[in-house]
Amino acid sequence: MSYDVTIERCGLMALFDLKGAPDAVSKWAGDALPSLPYRPNSRTEKDSIELFYIGRDHWITRAPLAQENAMEARLMPTDCPADISIVRVSDTMTFFRIVGPDAGQVMSIACPMDLHDSVFGTDAVSYTEVFGLKALVMRCQDGIEFAVEQSFADMVEDYLIRATA
Amino acid sequence: MMLITCPFCGKRNESEFIHGGPVGAVRPDPNAVSDEEWVEYLTVTPNPLGPVQEKWWHARGCGEWFTIWRDTRTHDIVEAPDGTK
Ligand SMILES: [Zn+2]
Repeated sequence: MSYDVTIERCGLMALFDLKGAPDAVSKWAGDALPSLPYRPNSRTEKDSIELFYIGRDHWITRAPLAQENAMEARLMPTDCPADISIVRVSDTMTFFRIVGPDAGQVMSIACPMDLHDSVFGTDAVSYTEVFGLKALVMRCQDGIEFAVEQSFADMVEDYLIRATA
Repeated sequence: MMLITCPFCGKRNESEFIHGGPVGAVRPDPNAVSDEEWVEYLTVTPNPLGPVQEKWWHARGCGEWFTIWRDTRTHDIVEAPDGTK
């Protein structure tokens, strides 16, 4: 069975992992980040910086790689207060984009979550499973994108090729 | 397939979770209980025929640890029995 999709393995992006009480995190981040998403497993965006609310007191922020140094300078991970944690994780995750008319079908092979628009909207983002691996899944233009731990990326690329061959 | 309700994420497939075992008794003060009671606390795991409170970890999800009540006769997730939480 072949599917009408395009699979893109994305290059590195600037990623920072943030943990702590929401007030403490937003106080430290100031206007370096979009406003904290209110609903669990949702995201906000401002000036090409995205913020994913992916666990209790836990966020990931993402931006184009060119902004990594500027974000690090703003977020100052090594100087942050002891009650919060900020870690640069840019090289720990690999993102894939599955776009095209059959993107949903391909994702339904890989992922147990219902990713239909009505359930998993444009601002949804969540950790779940992709091919049995922990993966960060969200919607993108014309499809779905997800990230797995960087060391699994070659294997996941193989899975996607086999699933769509 | 079983759906488990994570307090952060809502209902998710069981495959995203790891079972953390039954919730044990509250740790007694070892100096205030008999040897027998202390050994019972250390070694006896709740194993009822019926509702049991269990720890689950949303490992391939948000990372939350939480507890649910599961009926060992039906494998269904059930309400907490009266008088418990
Ligand atoms: Zn969860």
